[in-house]
Amino acid sequence: MTTHQKFASRALITGCLSLCLLQSLIAQSAGDVDVAVVVHPDTPVSNLTLAEVRKVFLGDRQYWSTDVPVVLLIRAPVARERNVVLKVIYQMSESQFKQYWIAKIFRAETATAPKVVYSNDMANELVTAIPGAIAFIDARDVRPGTKVIRVDGRLPKEQGYPLR
Amino acid sequence: MYTRLLLIFSLASGTALAQATASLPEQQESVQSLIDRIQQLEKRISELEDHQRKQDAARAASTGLQTLTEIQGSQGSQEKATLAPGLHSEPAPSSTEVREAEVHYPSLQIRGFGDVDFSATNEKGSVSGFNLGQLVLHLASPLSKKVGYFGELSFTARPTGSDVQVERTIIRYDYNDYFKISFGKYHTPIGYWNTAFHHGAWLQTTISRPEMVKFGGSFIPVHFVGLQAEGSLPSGGLGLGYSVGLGNGRSSILSKAGDSGDSNDNRAWVASVFARPTRFYGLQVGGSVYGDKLSPDPGRNFGEWITAADVVWTKERPEFLSEFANVHHRDLRTSQTFNSQAFYVQLAYRLPWLESKWKPYYRFEYIHRPANEPVWDVSGLSSVTDLASSTLGVRYDITNYAAFKGEYRNNRTGANEPRVNGAFFQTAFTF
Repeated sequence: MTTHQKFASRALITGCLSLCLLQSLIAQSAGDVDVAVVVHPDTPVSNLTLAEVRKVFLGDRQYWSTDVPVVLLIRAPVARERNVVLKVIYQMSESQFKQYWIAKIFRAETATAPKVVYSNDMANELVTAIPGAIAFIDARDVRPGTKVIRVDGRLPKEQGYPLR
Repeated sequence: MYTRLLLIFSLASGTALAQATASLPEQQESVQSLIDRIQQLEKRISELEDHQRKQDAARAASTGLQTLTEIQGSQGSQEKATLAPGLHSEPAPSSTEVREAEVHYPSLQIRGFGDVDFSATNEKGSVSGFNLGQLVLHLASPLSKKVGYFGELSFTARPTGSDVQVERTIIRYDYNDYFKISFGKYHTPIGYWNTAFHHGAWLQTTISRPEMVKFGGSFIPVHFVGLQAEGSLPSGGLGLGYSVGLGNGRSSILSKAGDSGDSNDNRAWVASVFARPTRFYGLQVGGSVYGDKLSPDPGRNFGEWITAADVVWTKERPEFLSEFANVHHRDLRTSQTFNSQAFYVQLAYRLPWLESKWKPYYRFEYIHRPANEPVWDVSGLSSVTDLASSTLGVRYDITNYAAFKGEYRNNRTGANEPRVNGAFFQTAFTF
């Protein structure tokens, strides 16, 4: 093999490797952003297991305490936070999710479905304004003063945090 | 040879790269213009929000906390303080958004369910054709933070017109998750199906309900009029829940509940408990007991004792539903006892292909009652003696709110009865 051939093959290999690395970095930066579980500042919880978060979002736990009902806030379709919630918490598709809440109300297990929020700003505002409210917000968009709860003992950006 | 190939490849890569590089400035330009546009819009939104906040603050200053009281309604003063615009160092929420997110009382929501069916069987004397199924209206309205109303009305096509029925009407007070008490007319919490799907054909995978919980059937009392307490039990990961009820029980027509009053001076009662273990999300295991005194004929009274158990896996890959019930009757005059059993097992699987719209299913169901069982004979209701039925079908979800179902059924209603084959189709929807 001549020097040119060696040089060309090394350049090709290096190029391919760089492309792969770049691709994985892009994928990581887009997909690994943690989703924080935030609640109204007066809500008497600071740590929930993933199973407890699921119970709350399934509407099976409807009260934080006797006088404070849970108010569910969930992002409108297509938002990344909603996709994470559907995948990790509900383990349902969009249509299964819709059917689940229609059935839940039809069974008289709850009178209201989760309220839809259209942005993380709106979620931030409502969760601090409505007692008992709970929402999912991109961890980068959580405003100072909002109460972020630990899930399985971990906060967003900590290793092993389950909602991403 | 190797050098030539490498050169050709390098040239091709170079050309592609050059093309990509040439188009890059254009793309960057478009991206930059979009970013500028977004920034302009964000700035405009921010200005509008500031303007809105200033207006809200001015309004609040002039009218005190009147606006906030309207927003929060009956909620505590703490909430009002949280909402006070201009009184907080944190950015105040948009009052419009909060107002929209608040629940107003009463807040009536109406949902409808409907289905159109086609059936054809080889049973002697049967006629194939279409029928309208049921049109169902479901009403739900929170009346306060802790009180809610639920109702279900059905319109069923009959040869003489439409039959309107109040299927459920319930007012419920929620003390907390552990205790909720309600009054009204329910679907009796025996087994799973009766309280899971109600009259919404769209909600259930199959076209019809299993025979043991069929509307108009008499194997179990489908409806219950009275009061019911329900809630969850502190049980950690076991996810226990309960319900207990006291009511009129069956009327003298055994398939109907005592809507307008009890048929005798004896109350029926029902108790059920279920577990939804957090470790096995989707699994539910339950058991229920029901007791009543039946008076189908003057002077003839029977004690009724129903025990039931159910195991379900509610996820769709797979979906598994099964329940069993034993109905025990005791003639209070002769002390003779009779036991009838029924069960069904249903298995379905949402296929992952074709946008997950297809869901094939199979159900086997069985009912056995002793030939000399007197209760249903006394009531004059026709009831199967030994039912063995298989249903094979597929559900296709046309949209998120409408489905098409096709079924083949093979059943036998008695030991010496001929088998009947049938094809059934349904389009079921919610609106």
